[in-house]
Amino acid sequence: MNVLAWCVAAWLLGVGIYGIVTSRHYVHLIGCMTVCQSATYVLLLGIGFRWGAGAPIFYDHPPGTPAVDPVMQALVLTDIVVSASMTALLLAIALQVHKRRCTLDPQHLRPLRPRE
Amino acid sequence: MGLAHQLTPFAALLPLGVAFLMLALSHWLPPRSADVTSLVVSLGLVVLCGWLAIESLHGPILHWFGAWTPEVSGKPDVMLGIAFSVDPASAAVAAFCALLFAGSFVFAWGYFDKVHAHFHILMLLFLAAMIGFCLTRDLFNLFVWFELMGIAAFALTAYPLGKSSLEGAFNFTVTNALGSFLMLAGVGLLYARTGTLDFVTMGRVIASVPPDPVIAGGFCLLATALLTKAAIVPFHMWLSDAHAVAPSPVSVIFSGVMVSLGLFGLLKLIAMVFAGDAQVMMLVHVVLFWLGVATAVVGGLMAWAQRHLKRLLAFSTIAHLGVMLIAIASVSAIGTEGFLVYLVGHGLVKGTLFMIAGILLARFNSVDELELYGEGRSLWPAGIAMGLAGLLLGGLPWGLLHDATDSVHAGNHGVAGVVAIIVGTALTGAAVLRATGRIFLRWSGVPAVELVAPTEREREKGNRPLWLMLLPCVVMLAIALLPADLAESFLHSAASGLVARVVPHEGGGTLAAAITFALTILIPAASLLRRRPIRKFARRAVEAETAPFYALHVLHSGRVTDYVVWMMVGLAVLAGWLKFG
Repeated sequence: MNVLAWCVAAWLLGVGIYGIVTSRHYVHLIGCMTVCQSATYVLLLGIGFRWGAGAPIFYDHPPGTPAVDPVMQALVLTDIVVSASMTALLLAIALQVHKRRCTLDPQHLRPLRPRE
Repeated sequence: MGLAHQLTPFAALLPLGVAFLMLALSHWLPPRSADVTSLVVSLGLVVLCGWLAIESLHGPILHWFGAWTPEVSGKPDVMLGIAFSVDPASAAVAAFCALLFAGSFVFAWGYFDKVHAHFHILMLLFLAAMIGFCLTRDLFNLFVWFELMGIAAFALTAYPLGKSSLEGAFNFTVTNALGSFLMLAGVGLLYARTGTLDFVTMGRVIASVPPDPVIAGGFCLLATALLTKAAIVPFHMWLSDAHAVAPSPVSVIFSGVMVSLGLFGLLKLIAMVFAGDAQVMMLVHVVLFWLGVATAVVGGLMAWAQRHLKRLLAFSTIAHLGVMLIAIASVSAIGTEGFLVYLVGHGLVKGTLFMIAGILLARFNSVDELELYGEGRSLWPAGIAMGLAGLLLGGLPWGLLHDATDSVHAGNHGVAGVVAIIVGTALTGAAVLRATGRIFLRWSGVPAVELVAPTEREREKGNRPLWLMLLPCVVMLAIALLPADLAESFLHSAASGLVARVVPHEGGGTLAAAITFALTILIPAASLLRRRPIRKFARRAVEAETAPFYALHVLHSGRVTDYVVWMMVGLAVLAGWLKFG
C-alpha cells in the first residue's frame, strides 16, 4: 500500500512537471501546478497512513484507539490553504497579463525584451 | 532569561498584528500613518531582535508555544510542541531584516499613496515571515514561514501591474511555488524516517541511524527549494526577472535579504539537522561548493553584460550569493562567520544600489545605463553613493564586505573557489562602476555586450524629495563601511553556535583581495576607453569576446517553462550525485 502511494506521488509529480514544461497557456500551467501539489498530498497522506486505523478524532473514541498520524493531516490541511491562495494569486496575475498582452502563451511572454 | 523568553514570540507577532490592524482600519487611517507605523514597528523590531541576540549569547532562548514543552508528552523522543529558538546568529539576521525594512520604508515614504496601506501591510507580513523563518526550530513551521514569505513577495512583485512586472511575478511565483511543493515533500520524507519535526531531535535521530536514501532524498528536496529561493545556478533564472521589475523599495528587500535568507535557512538545516549524516555532508562539501562556484561566475558575467540597471544589480546579487554558498559549503566556523558578515554587508550595499536605481527611475523614468548617459550630473550626491557602493561591491579593501570576503577565503580550500570569488566580485563591482561612469560622469566607451541586453522604460512615482531618498542610502553605506572587528566576539560566538567545526585557515586572502580590487578598477576603465573596432582583426576579437555572452543571454530566455526545466536539471544533479557520486 505504502509503495503504491509513493509511486502515485512520483507519477503525479512527473506528469505535473511535464505539463508545466510543455505548457502553451498560463491557465493550463497553473492547473499543472495543482497536479504537482496533489503529489505532495498523496505522499504526506501515504506517510501518515496506518492499516486499520481511524481518523484522528477522539471525541467519540477513547484515547488510545489506533488512528492515522494527525501531524500529516495537519500538514496537508495547512498546505491546502496556502495553495488555494497561491493559485488565486497566479490566476489573478494571468488575468492581468491577458489584459495587457492579449496572449497567455508562455513562449511569447517574457519580462524584459532585448531592444531591437 | 525570563523576559527574553516571554518576548520572543512578539518578534513575529508584532508585525503580524500591526499588519492585520492596518488592514482592518485601512480606509479610516490618515494618509501618512501607515508610513509612520510601519517605520516605528520595524525600528522596534531591530531593537527587540538585537536585544534577543545579545541575551542569547548565554545560551539559546527557547519559547514553546502554548507551553507544549517536550516534557508534556511524557516520552523523551515525542515532541508535541513547536518552538522558537533564539540563537545569536538567527536573532542578528532577524534584526538585520528589520533594519533593511526600516530603510526601505523611509525610501518609499509617500511612494504608495494611492493604494491605502496595502503596500505596508504586505511588507509587514513579509517581515514577520522573515523573522519567523529565522527564529523557528520546527521544520514544518519553517515551511509555513517560507510560504508566507513567498506569497508576500509574489504579491509585492506584481504590485505595479505593469506588463513586465506581471510576467516577472508569474515566473517568480511558478518557480518558487514549485520549490515549496518539493520542500513540503522533503519535510514529509524526513518526518517519515525520523518521526519528528523539531530540528534538534531530528538531527539526533539522523546522526544515530545508518545512511538512509530517504533522508538524503529529503535533503535534496529541501535544498532544491532553498536554493531556488536563494537563486543558485541552475535554479537562479527567476531572480533577474523578478528583481528587475519589482518596485525599487521591494527590490531592496528582495536582493538585500530575502534571497540570502534562503541560504541562511539552508545553513541552519545543514548545521542543526544534517550534520550527522556523512553522505549529505559530502554533498554539501562537493556539489554545493561547485554550484557556488558556477553561480559566482555566471552571475558576474551576466551582470557585466547588462544595461538595465536593476537587472544588472539582480545578476550581481546572484554572483554574491554564489560567494555566500562557497562560504556555507566549507561548513566551518570561519566560513560561517564570513557568511554572516557577508549577508549583512552585501544586504546594505545592494540595498543602497537598488535605492539609487529607484532614485534614477523616479527622476528620469529609466534605469538604462545607455539611455541615461550623462543625465545624472544634477544628482551628483547619488553618483557619489553609487560609486562608493560599486567600489565596496567590487572588493574595496575596507568595510564589512571586505572583512567577510577575507573570512570566506580563509575557510575555502579550493583554487576554483578563490578564482570564482575573484571573478564574481570583480565583474559585479566593475559593472556598477561602468554604469556610474556613464550615467554620472559622461564617460563613454563604445558599448559591446551590454548593447543587446534586454531593457525597458519604466515609470515610478517621482515627487519625493531627494534628501529623503538619499538618507537611508547614506546610513546604510556608513554601516557597511564599519569594520567587522567591532563585533568580533559576538560574531565568534554566533558562528560557532551554528557550526563549531574548526578548519585550518587558508592563507592568501590579501593577495586575492588585491587582485580583485585591481580588476574592479581595470575592467571598467578598459571598457570606458573602448573605441569602435575598425580593423578586421579588432572586429574578430570583439566577436569572439561577445559570443559567450550571447550564449548566456539566450539561455536566460525569460520563459518560465525553460526555468522549470533548469530547476529539474539541478534537482537531478543533486540526486544523481548522491546515487552515483
